[in-house]
Amino acid sequence: MIKVRHRLKVAKAVALVTYKEWSAYRTHSMVSIIVGPLYFIIQYFIWTAVYGDNGAALNGMELEQMLRYFGATALIGYLTMDFADWNLQMLVRTGKFLTFQLRPIHHRFFAFSQKLGHRVLGFLVEFLPCILIFQFVFKIDMVPQYIGWTLLSIFFAFLMNFYINYCIGLSAFWLVQSNGIRSVFQALSSVLSGALIPLVFFPEFLQKLLFFLPFQYTTYVPSMVFSGSYTLAGISMDIDKIVMIQGVAVLLTMALSEFMYRRAIHRFNAVGG
Amino acid sequence: MKKYLKIYRESMRVSAASATTYRADFFLQSIITLLSNIIFPLVTLLIYGAGAGFEGWTIYEVLLIQSIFTMSTGISNMLFEGIVWSTMRHVQEGTLEIVLIKPVDCMFYLLSSTFNLGSISVVLGGGIVFGISFANVENTSFFMWIQFFVLFVIGLMVMLGMQLLMAATSFKWVANSRIPEMYGSILKFGNYPQSIFNKGVVAFTSFIIPVGMIAFFPATALLGRLEWWMLIAIIPCILFLVVGIGVYRYMVRLYEGVGG
Repeated sequence: MIKVRHRLKVAKAVALVTYKEWSAYRTHSMVSIIVGPLYFIIQYFIWTAVYGDNGAALNGMELEQMLRYFGATALIGYLTMDFADWNLQMLVRTGKFLTFQLRPIHHRFFAFSQKLGHRVLGFLVEFLPCILIFQFVFKIDMVPQYIGWTLLSIFFAFLMNFYINYCIGLSAFWLVQSNGIRSVFQALSSVLSGALIPLVFFPEFLQKLLFFLPFQYTTYVPSMVFSGSYTLAGISMDIDKIVMIQGVAVLLTMALSEFMYRRAIHRFNAVGG
Repeated sequence: MKKYLKIYRESMRVSAASATTYRADFFLQSIITLLSNIIFPLVTLLIYGAGAGFEGWTIYEVLLIQSIFTMSTGISNMLFEGIVWSTMRHVQEGTLEIVLIKPVDCMFYLLSSTFNLGSISVVLGGGIVFGISFANVENTSFFMWIQFFVLFVIGLMVMLGMQLLMAATSFKWVANSRIPEMYGSILKFGNYPQSIFNKGVVAFTSFIIPVGMIAFFPATALLGRLEWWMLIAIIPCILFLVVGIGVYRYMVRLYEGVGG
């Protein structure tokens, strides 16, 4: 119990410092208040034109559901955004990771606490203004169908994003300069996470494959849980089931991250590159 | 003039030398950039693949617009984008004086010294999709090609104006690396047929911030659908560039060298 309390105290301290540090650059985050609604306006016109006047469902999604989907992906992105990969690869490349080996704290826990602080700021200056704009300016219903399941799914997406990115960052222990692998992963993720277009638009073989890849668990799953129904590769699932599957995917990614960390730490020489 | 041409040629030579020195990194980054840009028509392909589409536009016509947009972005990244990051860095570190004391125009120097050969893969990626799309649209006359090239070049002037405004913004909004993202979200309006937007948006993207000129108007010229009012949009495009140059030069004059 004392150990847990101590860890919470450390997490709070790191998160608070990160929050204060990034608050100095809060206008950096506030750019989302302009960018988010602008992207949403583009999506609004694209999909209104695609659905046309008859408004028949496309791949099982109606226009209103589609707009809610894009609103949800934008908002969930603000809550789960992560750059643990960049931070970790920078620490390894410059040799500064050594300082974390000397501290009585696991680097992953430190990075996670940093993310907490950073995203609290994101919640205040990105999420809150944008949800109000979507709800009251664009008149899109941004109240989730199942609030409890949506919050749990977003929390899993938060963890998933962090652990995937941490694994990408860990690749720097082997590659030193991991910008290439980061770029490839980001390109794949932007397409396969469902941020560009709902995954039900993809060919069926790819939809089936996506059950076994981490991408959909960061964006598509929480956005569909927000909408209140989940379908992929012709499989419709109850919300509780898909959130449980998402939870299992998070556990597997955590295990992978731990496995990689143990292998990586043997390679660390603190020299940088 | 001769001096400036010589400086630009030298900058291009340095960029090529740098690319050949770190050739593995150059090729890897080029391939990644190329792959990232090949996926740009994905949303269009998936929408049309689902049996839907933009009314009055075939899939190849939409891809033609998007490929022109990508080529224009690639050329802009190669020739103009560097001034944004370079200005941002100099203003943040308070080192623009190093450029200002050189016996050459500051804006020209930053544009030329940041020539980026790596973005050629974006132009190539756009060119490939352009070729495929063009092969599937109706015959085009020589006159349409001339109209296309003129409007494409004017679209590049809009791109330059946009980059200069971004760079100028970084004088006041110090060290905000999301400035390009903000302007980029406006550019996105130019990536689709303007007929999908309402009249207010079309007026905005044609005459206020004329991003319609980047790809949509050149594509309509190539498809033989150019209308008279689209030619009027040339005037705000030229004005947009003049404003970009004017605002950038004004911000340079206000520069105080304190960093941030």
